[in-house]
Amino acid sequence: MELSFAKAVNAGLRAAMEDDPKVVLLGEDIGRLGGVFRVTDGLQKDFGEQRVMDTPLAESAIVGASVGLAYRGFRPVVEIQFDGFVYPAYDQIVNQVARLRFRSEGTVTMPIVVRIPYGGGIGAVEHHSESPEAQFVMTPGLTVVAPSNPHDAFWMIRQAIASDDPVIFLEPKQRYWDTGEIGDEAGIDLHRSRVAREGDDVTVLAYGPTVKTCLEAADEAEESLEVIDLRTLSPLDLDPVLDSVRSTGRVVVVHEASRTLGIGAELAARITQECFYSLEAPVQRVTGYDTPYPPCRVEHDHLPSVERVLDAVAATGEF
Amino acid sequence: MATDTLQEFRLPDVGEGLTEAEIVAWRVAVGDEIAVNDVLVDIETAKSIVELPSPYAGRVAELLVAEGDTVAVGTPIVRISGPGESASGPTGEVAADEAPVDSPLDGEASVDSARADRPQVLVGYGPSQRRRRSRSGRREHHRPARSVRVLAKPPVRKLAKDLGIDLATVPCDGPVVTRDDVLRHRSRLMQAEPAPASAAGSSATSVPVTGVRRATAEAMIASSSIPQATEWVTVDVTRTVELVERLRADRRFEGVKVTPTLVAARAVCLALRRTPDLHAKWRETTIEHPESVGLGIATATPRGLVVPVVRDADRLDLRGLGEAIADLVSTARAGRIQPEQLSGGTFSLTNVGVFGVDGGAPILPPDQSGILSLGQVAKRPWVVGDEVVARWVTTLAVTFDHRVADGEQASHFLADVAAILEDPALAVAF
Amino acid sequence: MGLPISRTLAPDGELVSAHDFTVEDLRGFHRDMVLARRIDTEAYALQRHGELGLWAPLLGQEAAQIGSGRALDPDDFVFPSYREHGVAWCRGIDPAKLLGLFRGTSLGGWDPAEHRYALPAIIIGAQTLHAVGYGIGLTLEGRESAAIAYFGDGATSQGDTNEAFVWAASYNAPVVFFCQNNQYAISVPLERQTRIPIAQRAAGFGFEGVRVDGNDVLAVHQVTSEALRKAREGGGPTLIEAVTYRMGAHTTSDDPTRYRDPHEAEQWAERDPLLRLRRLLERTDPQFEEFDAQVQAEADRLGEHLRESCRNLPDPDLAELFRHVYADVPPELVAQREEVRSWS
Repeated sequence: MELSFAKAVNAGLRAAMEDDPKVVLLGEDIGRLGGVFRVTDGLQKDFGEQRVMDTPLAESAIVGASVGLAYRGFRPVVEIQFDGFVYPAYDQIVNQVARLRFRSEGTVTMPIVVRIPYGGGIGAVEHHSESPEAQFVMTPGLTVVAPSNPHDAFWMIRQAIASDDPVIFLEPKQRYWDTGEIGDEAGIDLHRSRVAREGDDVTVLAYGPTVKTCLEAADEAEESLEVIDLRTLSPLDLDPVLDSVRSTGRVVVVHEASRTLGIGAELAARITQECFYSLEAPVQRVTGYDTPYPPCRVEHDHLPSVERVLDAVAATGEF
Repeated sequence: MATDTLQEFRLPDVGEGLTEAEIVAWRVAVGDEIAVNDVLVDIETAKSIVELPSPYAGRVAELLVAEGDTVAVGTPIVRISGPGESASGPTGEVAADEAPVDSPLDGEASVDSARADRPQVLVGYGPSQRRRRSRSGRREHHRPARSVRVLAKPPVRKLAKDLGIDLATVPCDGPVVTRDDVLRHRSRLMQAEPAPASAAGSSATSVPVTGVRRATAEAMIASSSIPQATEWVTVDVTRTVELVERLRADRRFEGVKVTPTLVAARAVCLALRRTPDLHAKWRETTIEHPESVGLGIATATPRGLVVPVVRDADRLDLRGLGEAIADLVSTARAGRIQPEQLSGGTFSLTNVGVFGVDGGAPILPPDQSGILSLGQVAKRPWVVGDEVVARWVTTLAVTFDHRVADGEQASHFLADVAAILEDPALAVAF
Repeated sequence: MGLPISRTLAPDGELVSAHDFTVEDLRGFHRDMVLARRIDTEAYALQRHGELGLWAPLLGQEAAQIGSGRALDPDDFVFPSYREHGVAWCRGIDPAKLLGLFRGTSLGGWDPAEHRYALPAIIIGAQTLHAVGYGIGLTLEGRESAAIAYFGDGATSQGDTNEAFVWAASYNAPVVFFCQNNQYAISVPLERQTRIPIAQRAAGFGFEGVRVDGNDVLAVHQVTSEALRKAREGGGPTLIEAVTYRMGAHTTSDDPTRYRDPHEAEQWAERDPLLRLRRLLERTDPQFEEFDAQVQAEADRLGEHLRESCRNLPDPDLAELFRHVYADVPPELVAQREEVRSWS
């Protein structure tokens, strides 16, 4: 079955709601409208207003209410309409959702999924193209996943909902309309990375929207690139990554988020720790710059592009 | 009417990242006269059905896609022939006081050229439309040589690369190739022939000449062809000894080993500035004056004599010089001096006093302009005023390259060094 | 419900309350509303041409914006959301400057100090807090001036807005909170944001709330003038709820047919702000037709100006933007800027 990314999430949500009556959805415009990207299209009609709720305009309350629902035994799946709007909810996420298991010594569970369309490249206005994932990855108690394709989107949303840990579920809005085959099997687990393309010379690490960029770069590169889709940012699954680095000795990390303290920094530190003796070159990072996201007319100069990835690949050969 | 231009309208991204749309219904037909913003067509996107108004006024020339077609953003969908931009309102006439850039009176060429480079549609044309950029200082792309994966720390990889050694050929005991492995392998490669076996029955033993011994011998042989001379002076260094004691107690010198040798090193730097002829290199037809002092510190190590260099020694203050010297000496004694730390010397310092002797005629290190030796600092009878008193006394000797300097310059230099050691406060004057 | 709705000009064009506007004033309202509507419809079309990535239409809200905008003193400071193109017009901002944000050539487009009009706030409700802080600043300086914050019905649910209400009351800030209740926050109807008229909430926070027919430009002007006067004279904050209707979509990315009954829009069309003033003027102003023709011609010219300006908005230079991240550019950013410059 071939579906767009957005429709794959929709199908995954539907399946999860059919499986478990405790799954409820909250968010702005998710019910009647079906979501500004139509990801929740048709769900309120089929599951009713009590399970698919259009909320007042208040992100902090969306997450805070989900905490209360979780106390009551529900499995809330909440939507933050755009990445840039998550900040009013940040307090509830890091101070409550992330900590209640720890605070309660394991007695309170927060099986909450916070779905966030993120990333740029869609010609949008301010606050609609952000990549805030590092701020969640650095928060103990949260798990963070970033599917890159429709197959992963379909299976990972279901796995995220089934997880007893809170999951920040990052949906790359630039890829919402990309289509792909949904495989019959779940394939791999929620917190596993995957070699998207095998290669011998350079290990390229990506997640979410940059996976496609890196695969395109791999098609063009003279070097043989091994592209790994990280899929999960917290926890990271580094085994395939380290195996690859031990074989190639060269690494390029590609993410839209700005450079300083992005996921690339964590990967560079861990790879250096584990593969120090294998490195032919320092870990290269191809990232957004350390500025706020620019006006969209120049966003493609800010975001990692195929040519910037290829440049970084070549750079690993210069040491 | 001015020459008609053919304007092309491409399917826009109407909703933040949409990539395609279906043509639902044309609202105009070929031949229709239309004004700006008259509705051309209904399209259906992933989100909704949208009416598209015309950016142009004129006559509909050609419908490029059909109802029912699914079309990618950026595809031309209609052509409109008209006088160009700025036809306004139902009458199609331009207001008299309007002076738009794309005036219909300018004619076809200017309108088209103004349009030529500019994509009509803002967003979502898809990756193929995005201009590919290139970088100044383009990098080389090449597939690396496939080799056995070797484990080694990055600095060791660099050392091997600098020495032109393939890491994969370096034998090592453990799983990781170390610096010693690389240097040992290099020494082995440098050996011209194997060491001669002892003659049968002879009681003499022989060891192969390798490593530091060989390097030192080679340097001495090279130096023997350089005309050099030595001068001596004996100095009352009591005030230096007092200074050293004072600085050792000074918080500003905490952690630094302050010794008379350190003061002498500083004195050398100051004196070289005053007598630049002692800081010169013979270059056959010219004499070259190095820009800064690379001070070699002769160091006895378990492997032999090593002379690591403090770069830019004249730019360091006393504390900095002390730290640099201490660092080099400890590194040398641990056998971890790197090749680049042995190069760049312009003048050297050797302290034979630590072995309990007064001095010697040190041999000029090749490609340096001089070397100063320090003897032991010991209490000796000395004349102060008209009295004989016990003072801390040492002997200094400088060997210099006689091609670039004469006894006079060497004497000036040596006298300056001695003067500072005798009265360190003089350094303020230098 | 509790609070009465102030109204001076009824939908049929009849005056139902007193006013002291002159013919010039009334013509001015008409012209400004016509031009505001034209700015809006032209910009909407530009988005459909592909020249803007997005547009947030004000269609139907002209009276709320022009009525309040014209009540402002030059010294008053405006904190808008992202839909107040009519208020920007009143502040003397060239409407072409509104386009950069929607075209993606800029994140703003003007100097707030020049027009006493802050850059649009896309984060819902954020600007209400800014207005309060500004008002506190005015009080600290002893200035007789006011701040006005514009926001919609959805924003009244946001934490920031409620905190702004608390603070405004606590500090007796000279702020007018102008809520354009256009009945929808994207697809979410008013009932989900509040169970009572929005203006009534002010009482809960301890200050006055006023409800006005947002499509009646005269009444809007009257209540806003009064609230501003009160603020300037130290009377504290007022919450004005201008009851209006979002005739268009939330933005050009939205499709209201998915959640709105089309009859609803038809009913509101009868209450159209331009229509009722036109009815009044046609009845009472003998030269109105001639005046209106001039206004329409002016609107046509404005449309061309917008199309022309839009296409000529210069693309920003990404490397140049690095200058504006900090007052003192740190070395790491200088290095990244050089990296950007190495690509062309």
